[in-house]
Amino acid sequence: MAWRFLLAAILGGVCYLDRTAACQLMLHRPLVVATLMGAVFGNLAAGAQVGVVLELIYLARLPVGASIPPDDTGAAVFGGSAAAVASSSIGLDGASFTGLLLLSVVVAETGKLADRFVRKVNVRIARLTAESVDRGDVQAVEHGLLAGLTLFAVMGAVLALVFSGAGVLVSKALLPRFGPANRMEFAVLLPILPLLGAASVYSCSRTERTAAVFFLTMAAVFGATGFFRWAG
Amino acid sequence: MSVPALTTGSRRAVWRRQFLLQGCWNYEGMQNVGFAYAILPALREIYSKRPEEGLKAVKRHLEFFNTQPAMGALILGASVRLEERVAAGEADPRAIGTFKVGLMGSLGAIGDSFFWGALRPMASVAGVLLALLHPLLGIAAMLILYNFTHLILRRKVFAAGMEGPEGAVGWLKQAGLNIRTDDRKLLAAILGGAYAGLFAGRFAAQGGGAPHALAWLLLAAAVVHLFTVLFRKAVSPSEILSFLLFVGVLILWR
Repeated sequence: MAWRFLLAAILGGVCYLDRTAACQLMLHRPLVVATLMGAVFGNLAAGAQVGVVLELIYLARLPVGASIPPDDTGAAVFGGSAAAVASSSIGLDGASFTGLLLLSVVVAETGKLADRFVRKVNVRIARLTAESVDRGDVQAVEHGLLAGLTLFAVMGAVLALVFSGAGVLVSKALLPRFGPANRMEFAVLLPILPLLGAASVYSCSRTERTAAVFFLTMAAVFGATGFFRWAG
Repeated sequence: MSVPALTTGSRRAVWRRQFLLQGCWNYEGMQNVGFAYAILPALREIYSKRPEEGLKAVKRHLEFFNTQPAMGALILGASVRLEERVAAGEADPRAIGTFKVGLMGSLGAIGDSFFWGALRPMASVAGVLLALLHPLLGIAAMLILYNFTHLILRRKVFAAGMEGPEGAVGWLKQAGLNIRTDDRKLLAAILGGAYAGLFAGRFAAQGGGAPHALAWLLLAAAVVHLFTVLFRKAVSPSEILSFLLFVGVLILWR
């Protein structure tokens, strides 16, 4: 198990770097991260199952200016690793799926606090850089940037380690405590979560032109699903 | 005073370094260290024979800077050209700060709207729909859809910036980013509607009859609309999830 956590920390560090500090190639998106974590902890499909829903939920919170959106990368680390451990040969049951998605909000908010902390420490690094440049050391700019990058990467690796550990712990210690009756009732909340994701997309893409298009497409696909079920 | 044209090596170094614009993002100067880091190879070459002037130039770029990271390449390229003019004595050094401050806000707004508000949702929801067929297919689709436009646009804005401030502003005028944003928002809305319809259909499959299905569809549409209204009233997805978690705990408690 130790090598899995080590791999999770390394991959997490890379994904967290992509989130803010470097490139922004979308390697930090929940679909990618949860699937990766699922693969690391033994079930790629279960990780992807969580990633598919988490991917859209936080889209409505844009990283504009100084505002920091909830840490959906951390939520995906938690959800992906937990789903892989909690899943059986037939996949992840509805209640566990719902539970992991809802618990991931705690992780997302914790990750946001950690992100804020890194950016505050970076203030100190930036000041030191400016002071060194004032003294004539131009290379301090490169050192300052390297320090900032290292801080983002280390914090990312630590967060990935902690969140994947929390995911495994929740799957092994918390989820098995609930019986079949409780699970049936809890899974009632499941249909709401993909709709929250859809609302996030709708919220981002909302213009005069798109409002009708969204609901018409929704009705058409819903109708097609029903037709194929009836025909098949 | 004439300044030799920037070598391809320095130009490429600046292009590569712009990917680390947010490497030391901080609450005070925001992307200031990243910007100074990115432009440093050009400054070293432009002021190779005048290190004191070079030091002043580095200090200029350590001042507050913040914009959408991909669009920052436009200001970066134009700043390189402005520095060449300053070194040649054709422009006032203060013009660089004025140019950066003047453009970073509007570029940030355009970039945020295009990248975070349109391209990312479109790529995400396309990836999610394809991930239902196979996770790796979904991931590949999302990364390709996003990065194809992202990387091409980064290259174009950097090239436009390298034509100087006039070229940068001219490119912004003719690029039609607002039309591109609207197109991608429309695509995102279509794909988002398909996603909502698919999941609503999946859960409706557990019940029976056409009236039941219609009720499900209307309920799902109402839930989506309700969440959208909540988002508009600055309620975050985290707050909604926390509320659902609270409801879940109550269910388990009962």
